Amino acid sequence: MFTINDELKEKISNINNLLEIKYKNIFDLDKTKFRQFIEDNVGQIKKMTKLNKDKLADFHSSGGIVGVDGSNNRIGGAYPHYIEIFQALAKSTYCKNEPLFKTDIYTPLIPEHDENPLEVGEMIIEDKKNIKLANLEVEAALESIDKFKPYAIMMDGGLIRYNIYAYDKWLELKSRCEEEGIILFGVIKDIKTSVIGDLIVEKNSEYEKPIYDKEILFGVLDYGEMILIQEYANKKEPQGYASVFLRSSLQPSVIGMDIIDTQREHLEEMARLVFTLTPENSRGVPLWLDIVDKEVKISDEMMKGLLERYMDRGVYERFFISERDKR
Amino acid sequence: MKVVGITTQQEFFIGSKERNFRINEFLIIEDTYQGDLLGEVVEAKTYNRYIPLNIYGDFVDNSVIDSLKALGYDIDEDTIYIAKVRLLNEALYPVQTGSDVRLPKFSEIKNLMINTKKDEGLILGVIRNTDDVAEEMDDEFKNLLYTFEEGQLIPQRELPYIFNIRSMHQYPHIGVFGGSGSGKSFGLRVLLEELMLKGIPTIVLDPHFEMDFSELAIDQDTTPSFVDKFKCLQIGIHVGVKFEDLSPQDLKNLLDAAGRLTDSMHNVVDILFKRRDSFTSFSDRLRMLSEAQEEGTIGKIEARIENADSEDERRAWKERKELFETYDKSCPNSSVRGIIWRLMRLANDGVFSKDIREIEDGLQNGKLIVIQGSTRILQVFSTYLLNNLYHKRRDYKDAIYKKTQADYFPPFIVVTDEAHNFAPKGYDSPSKSVLKEISQEGRKYGVFLILATQRPTLLDETITAQLNTKFIFRTVRASDIMTIKEETDITMEESKRLPYLRTGDVFISSASMGRTIYARIRAAYSTSPHTENPFDELKSKAKEEDEKFYSLIMNKLPINDIDMVHIISDIEKEANITYTIDALEEKLKLMADKGYITKEETLFGYRYKKL
Repeated sequence: MFTINDELKEKISNINNLLEIKYKNIFDLDKTKFRQFIEDNVGQIKKMTKLNKDKLADFHSSGGIVGVDGSNNRIGGAYPHYIEIFQALAKSTYCKNEPLFKTDIYTPLIPEHDENPLEVGEMIIEDKKNIKLANLEVEAALESIDKFKPYAIMMDGGLIRYNIYAYDKWLELKSRCEEEGIILFGVIKDIKTSVIGDLIVEKNSEYEKPIYDKEILFGVLDYGEMILIQEYANKKEPQGYASVFLRSSLQPSVIGMDIIDTQREHLEEMARLVFTLTPENSRGVPLWLDIVDKEVKISDEMMKGLLERYMDRGVYERFFISERDKR
Repeated sequence: MKVVGITTQQEFFIGSKERNFRINEFLIIEDTYQGDLLGEVVEAKTYNRYIPLNIYGDFVDNSVIDSLKALGYDIDEDTIYIAKVRLLNEALYPVQTGSDVRLPKFSEIKNLMINTKKDEGLILGVIRNTDDVAEEMDDEFKNLLYTFEEGQLIPQRELPYIFNIRSMHQYPHIGVFGGSGSGKSFGLRVLLEELMLKGIPTIVLDPHFEMDFSELAIDQDTTPSFVDKFKCLQIGIHVGVKFEDLSPQDLKNLLDAAGRLTDSMHNVVDILFKRRDSFTSFSDRLRMLSEAQEEGTIGKIEARIENADSEDERRAWKERKELFETYDKSCPNSSVRGIIWRLMRLANDGVFSKDIREIEDGLQNGKLIVIQGSTRILQVFSTYLLNNLYHKRRDYKDAIYKKTQADYFPPFIVVTDEAHNFAPKGYDSPSKSVLKEISQEGRKYGVFLILATQRPTLLDETITAQLNTKFIFRTVRASDIMTIKEETDITMEESKRLPYLRTGDVFISSASMGRTIYARIRAAYSTSPHTENPFDELKSKAKEEDEKFYSLIMNKLPINDIDMVHIISDIEKEANITYTIDALEEKLKLMADKGYITKEETLFGYRYKKL
């Protein structure tokens, strides 16, 4: 009954082979040699220690750490018959502070800013989604500065995203943080950069682009080690960020961290904070971000419940129930 | 506190971020459409979405939690509290989700909790988890009792549970169920104390010799004394059966209790027992008949008469001959002999040596009468006693109805522990029929039962069905829990809690309240004579023995091994205790081991000396 198309099997093993061939030389690299390459060309590999209680208590008394994350979910069918909810949350470790939510909602059926649904392509819509979410997150972070006066703000994801999608507000946030001495940094769970990969290609012509950092750093760092990426190696530098790769849990994969350039001196401290807040046996994400993420997440059930409760059944059924939902 | 989730007319959930719920507490639901509704928490839960420390499958270690705590975030603060609430009275519509929930005021739930006045009811304990409302309760209900928790007396903080004794007129009889160590006997004690304080005539069948109320456990000015309110009477010593008053049926019941009677034995009693027979006349008749039957034939008996040495003997054999001629055909020898040994067994227990006057007098004076004896004897005696007393009361009430004269006999309560021995399910026991009769029609005559048992499953079902109030203590056996579930209105949730109830905590399912109350029995004023731990007893006894022996030898130390013989004779003279050399030696060695004396080696062997 469950026969699998032979062609499909073949294609999958083909991909596997291609990847193996492409990366053979890299995976075969000697670990010590590769680490040396990193030390020479990218930046120092440094062993971190966890922050002690006193240090953490200092953070607490200076306002705590705010975690910022966003989430979106959509319900309905294909464009334009869907409705999408965006939500951002800034949550302070300082317990008395109520979590700060920002929400937005969008459906292509009600065009914003005189856009014409027929002319707006899916790409633009995708961008729109990113813009909305990034803006909400930055807004939440901005408001958290007013309300919580935190010691540091930990964004979920790289900072470059805000640069691209929420430029104006982002500049505001950046300058406020710089003025008020609030550390602003982002934790990148899934790194998509090719900083080290590019350098390898540069130095050895036998490799070809693109080689991403995610796969080459897999298993290279030991638990609690970080690579402080030097300015000369970092492409992002023009945007004004300092970055670090670190292995924060026993899992061999590596996460990244960005901080605004003017606060470079705090990079190590914040890396250690991330390391401290990450459970040893986890995926490498600081627990605080996981907690924020879980709280901000809009589940499908919640989405459905909200629409069913606050939208007339007729409207809901007419616009947002797709053929797929009725299967 | 708010109503959350899907609701029904009876059950729904409420959630809170601040307040933890307690099982069996009452809450008012402010339904915007239906007004205030009263509900009871039947299940309480807490939930923290981050603990068990598992977010997206990660296992979170404590150091991270601690670090977060240092940063000011306490993961426990994200705990939410959920309660399943059941409405006391079904609502017309499902409860509105999102309704606010608040704690009730005392006045709002008073009628559900207390349906009698303090002076008219039995103050048995406190209703658990009512301390929030208890603060506003009337002064009448404050400071009535103590509870005993974790080894100490705690003043009353919750609403009192007051059993409405007057309601027994409509809802008669009480069952007290619970495994051993669940607080059942102790609950019974509190019940009896209250009956004594109210001066209600009560008979207690006490197979454990534990219902003595002279020792007080609480030493306070307000503690009542029970000394002249009860009387312990032992069967055969203080009370017994007056043989002359026995009816043939009573006698058969008694004999049956001593050993099961066959049909033929029943027949023997019917034939040989005459009204107004004394014990002697009845037993003589039996014995002579048996002796005659052992001779075997009329001829042999006649030979006995002829060869008799004296006139007395001749007369005696003549009597035997008469008996033989009258009864031999209808009374087989084996049955006659069976009756004889049963009768002797009862007589040896002292059953026939006394009467029940003292019991009747005690009841007339509103006392609590404790009847003690072994279970077997109690079964026999109670059959006779209860029949007797119940019919006295019945005759009196019937006489009033028929407008004739009869002696006054008061209403009374019959209390027994191990009730399944007195009214077992599945087979007949002499006491069962009278208990059954009382259970079914005692209400009309003012005779009530309080039956305690650890095996409700073994108790006669007709009787169980008549128990309108049930005190259910911790019960572990599945079959008993099943029985309790069938016989009471306790809910699934409550029955699941039964094996885990703390000693002294009890579900009180009462027909007069129409629902089950979760309560804790108050601390008893008096204490059972069986409270000493047997292991403490062993220890103190051993110490006592040692000290006694030490005082014997104290003045004789040091004792050289060659002196043993003299020491033995000295001890014998002084204390009249004889030891062999080996025994003394052993005893001394033991004393040395325990550190009372020391043993030392000398040039001339060893010796024991003072420390």
